[in-house]
Amino acid sequence: MSGHGRGRRWAVVAALVAVLCALPAVVAALPADDADVAAADLRDAVLASGGVGFSGYAVSAGGLSLPVSDQLPAVADLLSDRVQLRVWWRGEDEHRVDVVGAAGETGVHTDPAGTWTWEYESATAERTGPAPLTLPAPPDLVPASLGRRLLSEAGDDELARIGARRVAGRDALGLRLVPAAAASSVARVDVWADAATGLPLAVEVLAEGATMPALDTRFLDLDLAVPPAGVVAFDPPPGARVRQGADPGGLLREAADRALSPGRLPAELAGLPRRTLEGAPEAVGLYGRGVTLLAVAPVPGRLAAGVRSALAAAPDAVRDERGTRIAAGPLGLMLVDAPGAGTFLLTGTVDLDALADAAAALTGAPS
Amino acid sequence: MIGVELRKTFGRPRTWVTIAVLNALPVLVAVLLRLTDLAPRPGEGPPFLSAVLTNGQLYPLAALAIVLPLFLPIAVAVVSGDAVAGEAQAGTLRYLLARPAGRTRLLVAKLVAVLAFVVVTVVVVAAVGYLVGTLLFDARPVAGGTSVSGTSLTPEELAVRTLMAIGYVAVSMLGVAAFGLFFSTLTDSPLAAALGALAVLVTSSLLFTLDAASPIAPYLPTRYWLAFVDLFRDPVLWRDVVRGLALQGVYVGVLLAAAWANFTTKDVTS
Amino acid sequence: MSSVVVTRGLVKQYGRVRAVDGIDLDVRTGDVYGFLGANGSGKTTTVRMLLGLVLPTRGEVELLGERMPRAGRRVLPRVGALIEGPAHHRHLSGAANLALLDAAGPGGSRRTRRRRVAEVLDQVGLGGVGRRKVGAYSLGMRQRLGLAGALLRRPELLVLDEPTNGLDPQGISEVRELLLDLHRGGTTVFLSSHLLAEVEQLCSRVGVLDRGRLVLQDEMAHLTAPTGATVVDTPAPERVRAVLDGRVLSADGGRVVVRGADPAEVNALLVGAGVPVRGLALQRPTLEEVVLAAAGTSADRVERA
Repeated sequence: MSGHGRGRRWAVVAALVAVLCALPAVVAALPADDADVAAADLRDAVLASGGVGFSGYAVSAGGLSLPVSDQLPAVADLLSDRVQLRVWWRGEDEHRVDVVGAAGETGVHTDPAGTWTWEYESATAERTGPAPLTLPAPPDLVPASLGRRLLSEAGDDELARIGARRVAGRDALGLRLVPAAAASSVARVDVWADAATGLPLAVEVLAEGATMPALDTRFLDLDLAVPPAGVVAFDPPPGARVRQGADPGGLLREAADRALSPGRLPAELAGLPRRTLEGAPEAVGLYGRGVTLLAVAPVPGRLAAGVRSALAAAPDAVRDERGTRIAAGPLGLMLVDAPGAGTFLLTGTVDLDALADAAAALTGAPS
Repeated sequence: MIGVELRKTFGRPRTWVTIAVLNALPVLVAVLLRLTDLAPRPGEGPPFLSAVLTNGQLYPLAALAIVLPLFLPIAVAVVSGDAVAGEAQAGTLRYLLARPAGRTRLLVAKLVAVLAFVVVTVVVVAAVGYLVGTLLFDARPVAGGTSVSGTSLTPEELAVRTLMAIGYVAVSMLGVAAFGLFFSTLTDSPLAAALGALAVLVTSSLLFTLDAASPIAPYLPTRYWLAFVDLFRDPVLWRDVVRGLALQGVYVGVLLAAAWANFTTKDVTS
Repeated sequence: MSSVVVTRGLVKQYGRVRAVDGIDLDVRTGDVYGFLGANGSGKTTTVRMLLGLVLPTRGEVELLGERMPRAGRRVLPRVGALIEGPAHHRHLSGAANLALLDAAGPGGSRRTRRRRVAEVLDQVGLGGVGRRKVGAYSLGMRQRLGLAGALLRRPELLVLDEPTNGLDPQGISEVRELLLDLHRGGTTVFLSSHLLAEVEQLCSRVGVLDRGRLVLQDEMAHLTAPTGATVVDTPAPERVRAVLDGRVLSADGGRVVVRGADPAEVNALLVGAGVPVRGLALQRPTLEEVVLAAAGTSADRVERA
């Protein structure tokens, strides 16, 4: 097969393929401009970015396999899967986050008076009022709000600067949070914030002892213009099922009515001080600070039975005389029966020993 | 030359039989859906199928979504795989080239004929889907429709987006056609060429579901096929649509270049 | 006299096998050129190289004075070809097949297409079945249709590979008449065949291919020129030998070959001696003898190495 340009023609094709294959790598290798900003200043810039309007497209990859996928499928999917998010942000209480699926989407439209949740595949619009305590929802995964939340209580001594990156085509300055609390199961939180506005563009959460992030969320596209109000607002379309959402506090209150009195929850658990959460039922105790948090909540019997069997079936659960507990990435989970006070769910970003200590303190057993 | 190839493609009974068979499945699904009223559960089944029960105007999209994963690519692979290899097997390729139909011209004409087949097929599926949808289901011709994001679409918006979706599905098939055409220049067996193109698609679909393959996922030819759903979000999510168009463009460009490099320097011994 | 087909050192190599090994063809205007060779001798590969279907490993091809395959777009419209049997789209009619073929290449105006198709169909004797689907044609009809396709553009050069394959004796004779007719009209014919008789009856020049090499290329008249001997048909061969002692070259039954290029002189000698003579003729070698002498064994034979 010599001659007639055969070799030359194939060389043209090979060169074309090589150029096309190299393009993504070249674009990815574009260097990011770093800036000399102190860690604490960068944190302050991040925390002040709540009013920055933007719209964008973000991807969140969660590595948390929660043992509650039967009880809370939506939450389990959110934290264990790759989730594509479209975000329109006009402010902390006016934004829209769509979880984009291959054949539909779930849109969460937040306004000052509450939240509309639109499910395309069931053509259902659900209205919920504002609540102090809610299950994780799509807006919580948006890098901007997640970054602000995780850095909100970070002390200066916990922070350090890391190298800049290009995220969604913008220069993003790196900030690393290593929690100081001994009980923490979070090894570190890395946040890359927009150099110009302080808006967090990418967040990675790494559990103690892990090499892959337990949660990795970042913008792929970002437009720093305030989106029009019409895009964020929601009116149920004709033909949709409209319903009032369940009050997430109700479930807890129901359990709390039968549970121990508020005074019974200790002021400190596993070395973490109790904190108050405005609007939350008295029966729910929240301990810790920053990214090291432990929640103690009474659970009704029917929910407890489900969680108990899920825990029992989980292959990587730790079982010993101090109880059965499980860690999904940085998130620990334990069910405790306090004699005469009902069942408590202990969960939070604390390690398994801290969970056992807390359980012992609750049941009054020596730890 | 292009006219000749178009006449060959559409003058052949097999082409129309293929298109008819392709339409049989959506029609069957529509009839079953009408008789049983059992929509697929949320998250299951092809996109738009559950919405069809309340809006028959969406059936063209549901029909495309039904044939998109398998039937449509098979049809396109068979027709494009037949393009050059079919002439070689029948022996007519040597007469065409001795006519002379220049090799590059022949390749371009074959491509255009395959493209025409893709477009006609997609349009026929959508048109039959529209007929079936409006006949069997509640049409709601005035109210327009509901976008995936839960906003209302005027009938004009719905029509424009449906046309864009038809165009996008057609473009998505171009990659398959390019693979078929390239393999068709490698072998004298149309069956082998079609199977080769299908093997690429099956591999691509399989890798797409595999986490380990996620680094190459954005470059898989089937990666953005379902992005036509994004045209029905409000505002339209252009990201994957644009990437899908660009990716198909790259595949078509590279494979055509390879087909050209091979075919123009190949010994025709069939 | 200009040359219509010229090849110089034409080589086609497939891996380690040389299918065509340095042949120099020379077909001149007005020739009916017989390209002879056993199956597998490289005939078809050569024909395909002439038409630009197979690209030579080395060497040059000139068709109608222009280099192939570079000038294919200019040259090939002036060439009609029948290559390794006819091939058509079975679901179309004969006329539709020809119309498509005509439209596939340059030249050949759309306005005259129907007329030209009808004409060539009549020419090859398919005027009555042009509207029928080719799938219903017999092998002979398809061969005629293939020939019609080659004639569609009134070519200056016809390249025909085994054109009488599948035809009955009447068909063969019709095709022969057609080719001679075309030849009289000025068409040069390049006829590739393994049938000696066909070539012998039609051709004015012959090339013989043996295992990829051109072992012979000459005017038919030269190849079969008188040898300078006379063949005597007699019931008494032993008496011929007695009379023409020393001049008898060979004797085979009643057929005696005698040196001497003048049958009249031989006849006078024999009749004078009272030897009965049934017939006298100048000895000419048959094409078969020429070819067998030039080429070796059949290429189908594979000897132990």
